[in-house]
Amino acid sequence: MNEKELHDAVGRLPKSIEPPRDLWPDIEARINRRSLALRRRWYWIPLAAAAVLAGVWLVRSQPASWDLTTLAGRPLVNTTPLAASGRLRVGDWLQTDDSSRALIAVGRIGQVEVRPETRVQLVSATESDHRLALARGTIDAKVDAVPRLFFVETPAGTAIDLGCAYTLHTDSLGNGLLHVTGGEVEFQTGQRWARVPLGALTQTRAAVGPGVPYVEDAPEPLIRALVAFDFANGGARATRTALAVARPHDALSLWHLLQRVDPALRGLVYDRLAALVPPPPGVTRAGAIALASRDLEGYWTKIHRILFRRMVLKGVRDIDPRTGTTVR
Amino acid sequence: MAPPDDLVARAQAGDQTAFRDLYRQHAGRVYALCLRLTGDGRDAEERTQDVFVRLWDRVRSFRGESAFSTWLHRLAVNVVLNARRATGRREQRVMTVEDPGALERNRGSTTEGLSIDLERAIAGLPDGAREVFVLYDIEGYAHAEIAELVGIAEGTSKAQLFRARRLLREKLER
Repeated sequence: MNEKELHDAVGRLPKSIEPPRDLWPDIEARINRRSLALRRRWYWIPLAAAAVLAGVWLVRSQPASWDLTTLAGRPLVNTTPLAASGRLRVGDWLQTDDSSRALIAVGRIGQVEVRPETRVQLVSATESDHRLALARGTIDAKVDAVPRLFFVETPAGTAIDLGCAYTLHTDSLGNGLLHVTGGEVEFQTGQRWARVPLGALTQTRAAVGPGVPYVEDAPEPLIRALVAFDFANGGARATRTALAVARPHDALSLWHLLQRVDPALRGLVYDRLAALVPPPPGVTRAGAIALASRDLEGYWTKIHRILFRRMVLKGVRDIDPRTGTTVR
Repeated sequence: MAPPDDLVARAQAGDQTAFRDLYRQHAGRVYALCLRLTGDGRDAEERTQDVFVRLWDRVRSFRGESAFSTWLHRLAVNVVLNARRATGRREQRVMTVEDPGALERNRGSTTEGLSIDLERAIAGLPDGAREVFVLYDIEGYAHAEIAELVGIAEGTSKAQLFRARRLLREKLER
């Protein structure tokens, strides 16, 4: 058996195998036992609450801070040169010059590498809100935690971690680029938002927000059309250009575009999207054009899955960008 | 049966009937994952139970950022890998599904013989190689994600995948 035959055989394995017996009675019994045990534990709540309060008081008496390590050169914490390692406290600024780099430990959930010529501030360091502000420069973030625990504020909006790895750049005017290399990031301002999964990028503009995301290998004319639409009042003309040059691989962009164009153009965008990547069962044209969350989420799940498979299986298998299945 | 979104919402509100329906919808997918990751039918049953007990505890934290099935899948992978780390079992296994018809019941194509051989060959892989192979080649995870989930280096994940594919090809050629 060669490599291709093995891949083909793996592709035919069933995704679902029914258990040989019904496991629900055992599961139900365990759930009920746990519920009972939890109710009994309520007797201990006053004691536990006192212990938690004491713990909180102890923690709050210490200033919140994260570990900091020098990777190259002499980064500055506020105005003080950082030695081999140190602490970054809430309110502190970390600044690198053209030859220095540093590594910030994001609490216990991840790390951020600060590249040269970057200025970043620790804004919040609580268990539920790990937050940096990127004034300019580039950071590489990697977080392993449940979604929405790590945030990076920029002049163009906030990058919200959904369990991922990404590179975020902001220039001195507050414009930038987000490139996601693992998982998914949401980037949002008050008016705009974008979902950027593995293998996708979005440009950002100060006081405007994120543009329509696009995949790493998106054609240049598509990127130009999206930038014109998002940041240069490109309107219907830019929309039509984007639709004309989009490929099935660019469904991610059209899915976002659908929600940004004037209502009169939504039908046009939907029809092009549906022609490139057929909608999954349950998604209707009327629902998608009305921006019904059920239809949009259904479509997103399919587009996201196809993109994920393309990225993960790159160089291993050819994936049909219309369906996400292996090309035989 | 109610639509999946409705079932999740009801389960989040503590409705055990809705949770049972969620189990019915997802048990096959979860059991298949547990069976392939553990390579053992009895362990797979235990882990499947663990996954749904854990799901009962955690379902309220599902916030809809991904499809529920994707979220549950990740939860299941974590439960299985954590259980393996906790018990520290390392011995090589062979598939011991008590009901040998379990696999056959899910197939109907002319390639079923090869699929069954392949399932058995996967179950017979060493633990580390089997986990990486199942997560990468069957479930579509990236090496970086596998490295994080299993607690190994990314290079080790690639090496284990190479080893698993070689072992499988050798076994299936015999």
